[in-house]
Amino acid sequence: MSREQILGRVREALSVKTDSHVRQVARKTSHALPVLANGPESRTVAVKEFLPFVGPSFEEHVKAFRTLSEKLQTEFVCVPNIESAQQQLQSLATSNRWSKIGLHENELVQATTSGLELETLNTSHEYDIRDLERCDVGISHCDALIAQTASVLVTSNSAGGRALSVLPPHHVVVATADQMVTTMADGYDRLRASVGDQWPSFLSFITGPSRTADIERVLVLGAHGPKKLTVILIGDEPSSWQ
Amino acid sequence: MSQSKTPSHQFQTDANEMTEDVDRRGFLRSSLRGYMNTRSATQNRFMDYDSARTAAGEAKWEAIENLDVYLAEFADKLEARGTKVHWCNNSDEARATILEILKTHNAKTVIKSKCMTTEEIHLNELMEKEGFEVVESDLGEFIVQLREEAPYHFVFPAMHLKKEEISKLFQEKLAAANTTDPEELTMIAREVLREKYIQADVGISGANFAVAETGMISITENEGNARLTTALPKVHIALMGIEKLIPRLEDLALILPMLATAGTGQHLTCYNSQLGGPRQAGEIDGPKEMHVVLLDNHRTRLLADPEQRDALRCIRCGACLNVCPIFKNVGGHTYGTTYQGPIGSVITPHLRGLKNWKHLSHSSSLCGACSETCPVKIDLHHHLLRNRRDSASKGQGGFAERLLMKGFVFVMRRPWLYKTAGWFGKIAHVLSKPIHGTRIDPFYKWKKTRDLDDPAKQSFKQYWESRK
Repeated sequence: MSREQILGRVREALSVKTDSHVRQVARKTSHALPVLANGPESRTVAVKEFLPFVGPSFEEHVKAFRTLSEKLQTEFVCVPNIESAQQQLQSLATSNRWSKIGLHENELVQATTSGLELETLNTSHEYDIRDLERCDVGISHCDALIAQTASVLVTSNSAGGRALSVLPPHHVVVATADQMVTTMADGYDRLRASVGDQWPSFLSFITGPSRTADIERVLVLGAHGPKKLTVILIGDEPSSWQ
Repeated sequence: MSQSKTPSHQFQTDANEMTEDVDRRGFLRSSLRGYMNTRSATQNRFMDYDSARTAAGEAKWEAIENLDVYLAEFADKLEARGTKVHWCNNSDEARATILEILKTHNAKTVIKSKCMTTEEIHLNELMEKEGFEVVESDLGEFIVQLREEAPYHFVFPAMHLKKEEISKLFQEKLAAANTTDPEELTMIAREVLREKYIQADVGISGANFAVAETGMISITENEGNARLTTALPKVHIALMGIEKLIPRLEDLALILPMLATAGTGQHLTCYNSQLGGPRQAGEIDGPKEMHVVLLDNHRTRLLADPEQRDALRCIRCGACLNVCPIFKNVGGHTYGTTYQGPIGSVITPHLRGLKNWKHLSHSSSLCGACSETCPVKIDLHHHLLRNRRDSASKGQGGFAERLLMKGFVFVMRRPWLYKTAGWFGKIAHVLSKPIHGTRIDPFYKWKKTRDLDDPAKQSFKQYWESRK
């Protein structure tokens, strides 16, 4: 009932067209007009044309991701193959003194963590949230890496649910070279191609470790989420994974 | 703020108080300067920031001008995947709806992530009165909640507080150790709140955007508190205004970087999450129930204004506050509104009535810094003028203002009278000098904060004639 009331008021309000002067003001002094004339698809174009530049090649993507990661204090590691990823995780485990790890059922995650002989919680099955709270790290896969923003795109499917990538104090992402894309819009394209209209209930672009500057604008990492974010990119070129 | 004061009177007294607090103003300015520096650096990375603003603005225009279609699509898509959608005409309905959900689940504790709409409907007060334990999880909101005050700025809620004040607060309310280190203070809050996430029965969040095409809400945050709020409790309630719509998922790929750049100067905020329902078949965590509460609360009244519906495109980045000379001088609490600064001054008269809130349209120097900085190009300072116009045409200006304007028109239409008035003015200026700064001066109040320069030796008219 309220639905019809509200929608009715919206329709009535919109029966008067927007003042043309007001509409014009928002468009003036912009080079965007030719692009905008093409309609809604233009937004994807806008992301490529107006937002910060990222070159088209894989090397340029990696470079952009690395530069921003430094700023964000994301630890970004490139390794040539699964074996070296295993070693990488091994040394992370030692240097961070992990005693309990959280992970989920995923081919890449299983392959890269197989060498770790630590107490393990698998979030692909029913688990107690207190158990996850006691983990030193959450290790997950992802859907895409975004070069333009140095973000990791995760969903409840690809990252072992909603909590694994946010509750433990350290989040480690393992990704393959073919998962690197240019923009967030490309990230959504990837996702669409794989899920169709069966969207997972949760998706998130993770850009650096959790942070706050609410006290006197001083940056503090690990406000509520992970204090550390590590992204391990496996492979020297995308084709090695296709 | 006492209850008996009118909003206009309260604004005046608080503004006076704040402008005299030079120390606090300096503190505010220096933190806003930090913001300006970060933001310009990020803006400069764009290939064409101005065109990006236009494109982002167009996405919001498309949503607002077809709001009926997109709202219906959004609700249908959400419902198809098991979310309960509630349509609320006003704050009373929204409060009743949320209370009902809490009671149905026998909830005791509620964890909240930052949501200005809950401030708008005064939800916390109600929940606390009904006996629920309510905890704000955003660090800034957590701090102002402990202080029992309203957010100072809708993006930086605790920006007015110094670390010493926060330290004292934590010692008093949380029995915390004595430290003024921002990192240690943050960790104190982290420890306290961790436990709350796990215990809470219900999580309440807002929504920065609502995607019509896929039926998802989008939440932007840095701390991870919204992710925890929407992941751990078994029920998730999201409260949002009906103007939050955007047409497609891809629009977020443009708007989210714009929100971050304009809002905090980051190229992208730490977590940008989209939620499209409760736990689905095959998923192992997430809430078992999700509710989306859609709130009108006079937004349709603003939509009905063919000029000022422009303001419904606002993405609440807070950039217009950060650049506003009025905000910098009077601070956030002076406004007495949920949304402070230029955007608040534009929309509050529509949401709460022009008669009581028209003074906000005058809390502006019309410098246009707000319009220039707006990432979706809302014509903010002209809307303030439009509010002034509307208030005057409804005769709300008051007797003195009308008399003054009548007198002005009368004089300006008669050159001889204007000339004579000019002479009188000059004489009065000289005569008033001995009584300057005393209460006998009829313009005492006006001159208290202003100096009136001596008039030029030669008037413009005399100069013009001498040129010939």
